[in-house]
Amino acid sequence: MTETVYRLVYYSHNRIVGSPAALEAGINSILEVSRRNNPLANVTGALMFNAGCFGQVLEGAPDAVEQIFERIQMDPRHSDVHLLSFASAPARAFAHWSMAFVGASVPDAARYGAIADDTGYSPARMESEELFKVLQRLALEDEGATP
Amino acid sequence: MLSELAGGVLTIGSDGFVTFANRSASALFPGPGPVGIQLLTFLDLSGVSNGSALVEATRSRTASAPIRIGLAGGRILDTRSCPLPDGGAVVTLLDVGLYIHEADLARRDPLTGLPNRVELRERLSVLLAEFQRTQAPFAVISLDLDHFKSVNDTMGHPMGDALLVKVAERLRSALRPSDILARMGGDEFMILQSDAAQPQAATALATRLVDLIGRTYIVSGQILNVGTSIGIALSPGDGEDVDSLLKHADLALYRAKTDGKGVFRFFQISMDEEMQARRLLELDLRSALAFRQFELNFQPQVELDPRRLVGFEALLRWRTPARGLVSPADFIPLAEQTGLIVPIGEWVLQTACRQAASWSQPVSVGVNVSAVQFNNARLVQIVTSALNASGLDPGRLELEITESVLINSTQSVLEQLHAVKSLGVRVAMDDFGTGYSSLTYLQKFPFDRLKVDQSFVGGSGDGSKGMAIIRAVTALGNSLGIATIVEGVETEEQLAQVRAEGCTEVQGYLTGRPMDAAAAAALAAESPSPTAVQGDPP
Ligand SMILES: Cc1cc2nc3c(=O)[nH]c(=O)nc-3n(C[C@H](O)[C@H](O)[C@H](O)COP(=O)(O)O)c2cc1C
Repeated sequence: MTETVYRLVYYSHNRIVGSPAALEAGINSILEVSRRNNPLANVTGALMFNAGCFGQVLEGAPDAVEQIFERIQMDPRHSDVHLLSFASAPARAFAHWSMAFVGASVPDAARYGAIADDTGYSPARMESEELFKVLQRLALEDEGATP
Repeated sequence: MLSELAGGVLTIGSDGFVTFANRSASALFPGPGPVGIQLLTFLDLSGVSNGSALVEATRSRTASAPIRIGLAGGRILDTRSCPLPDGGAVVTLLDVGLYIHEADLARRDPLTGLPNRVELRERLSVLLAEFQRTQAPFAVISLDLDHFKSVNDTMGHPMGDALLVKVAERLRSALRPSDILARMGGDEFMILQSDAAQPQAATALATRLVDLIGRTYIVSGQILNVGTSIGIALSPGDGEDVDSLLKHADLALYRAKTDGKGVFRFFQISMDEEMQARRLLELDLRSALAFRQFELNFQPQVELDPRRLVGFEALLRWRTPARGLVSPADFIPLAEQTGLIVPIGEWVLQTACRQAASWSQPVSVGVNVSAVQFNNARLVQIVTSALNASGLDPGRLELEITESVLINSTQSVLEQLHAVKSLGVRVAMDDFGTGYSSLTYLQKFPFDRLKVDQSFVGGSGDGSKGMAIIRAVTALGNSLGIATIVEGVETEEQLAQVRAEGCTEVQGYLTGRPMDAAAAAALAAESPSPTAVQGDPP
């Protein structure tokens, strides 16, 4: 049976305040919850944190993605969630990751990614397709991406 | 075994799909039954309220407390979820409709499962009674969705309802256990916030809610955006009883709406006074037609080189014994909000046509028509009967519409405009250049005339910019074959300037102030007979 896959791409602004350690704990807890919840809903995807912004791709059955996205929308740890796209996709791009964390390692992202810079990938400055491609490429390259 | 149980039982696989439903469970829901569908999808499809709480519970690895869900028919179930070793869960459904007192149902909103207006009023009166003892201040927060009606109209009621369920859940997620949230009806919600320092707590909550509710929704696969406006009344300062607190929160909400939506406002005494004044004005306005308090003034429209009267714009005046002359800026918006503009506008059309028909020269008459009059759908009929009753040549009537008529332009508005035009009536775009995208409207409808807004002539600051715009619009009109007229010309110097920019028609204090019907008739009589007025020959 071929499944209907919808892909959602958004970016948002970090609202976790405090030391790099607090941020690291925050990101880790997001990943932990995602890796617990997403498999139950058969949702896969990737998350990055850079330049003070989260960028995330979620893919799965439309109602499952819709439901997880609604929970994410209510999360006070980020704000200004910009939904870049939500549309059907030919297949999953992150089939093996319940939620890959891509780019720098979590501790490095927490240390350096909170700073808005112009050098790294700023999710806020990317179009939907570009952000998706970057997340996909990083996930494939990055051995640190834990399934 | 399971299928023999009196209560409903569902089993859910680790993938969230329903794997089994016993007979009682299937009987609770109409249709083909849940097996083989995701529990969430099934509950959504069946119109169950609070279903997502149950779905959440089935994902948990511990047994849940009872979760109350509402079925589409109004039945109430208490549900429980127990985890299965394989990662799935068993859900039991108990129809508690029988146990719940009728009175309890009357206190609950079936769509969201939230307390309704009755319950909220009672909780508020409890808080007020406790205040006698505790002296603890609390906030009454009223909110509704901006543009919810257009979601309902364009996407349908089921989508509107699904959106309301998500809104209710977002609201709930931002509250503390001591807060009380109710759905008052439609898209109106009310929150009672106690046990917190005011007004700081209400400010913080309102700020969060404006952000939270304004975030994008995905509802049944569709992307939706709505905002919220919020009004806040504080006890005890803003009222000492249920009615006044609720009323004042609503007044503050009304202010938030008129201040541009997507904001929150605290109640202030002046809002009460303003509302009172508005109500009195509305009462007077309702009787104004019957008391014949309206009159029309006419402002000349003049062609240059040689200078010659070509028409008048009819301007509505309202005079009452008690108020004297009321400014249109004060009563037209109210007339539009209350729908009174429809009968008033009909009177204006009839009167303007009758006056114009009595003039000895066939100059034109311009009549303003607002967006609300187009919603009425009777506009074409009203125009036709004004023309018939007066015997006025349709080519001498010009309807002036502003961008607001076209901004949400539905097919129906364009159809009405075309129908009016096919009667031979001309249509002018008023206040041209002040809207967001005046140019796009020129593509939507073949206007006969552009009325260049007066701000470009009399505007403060850099006059040369205004003149550049007048030049551009005049040229645009020429190349599109649309006549242009510049409004607001007050001095000879301005007249010389606009003439130099190629403008051929003006309306303003310099070439004629608004005058009463008799003076207009006299002016028309002494003007040379027009040859340039367009329209069908009589
Ligand atoms: C940037 C960001 C991304 C998130 N991604 C997910 C996700 O993919 N899956 C998920 O279940 N929760 C995600 N969350 C967390 C949710 O907002 C929410 O806290 C969580 O789903 C609650 O799950 P629980 O009820 O199981 O604790 C994310 C939060 C943030 C701030």
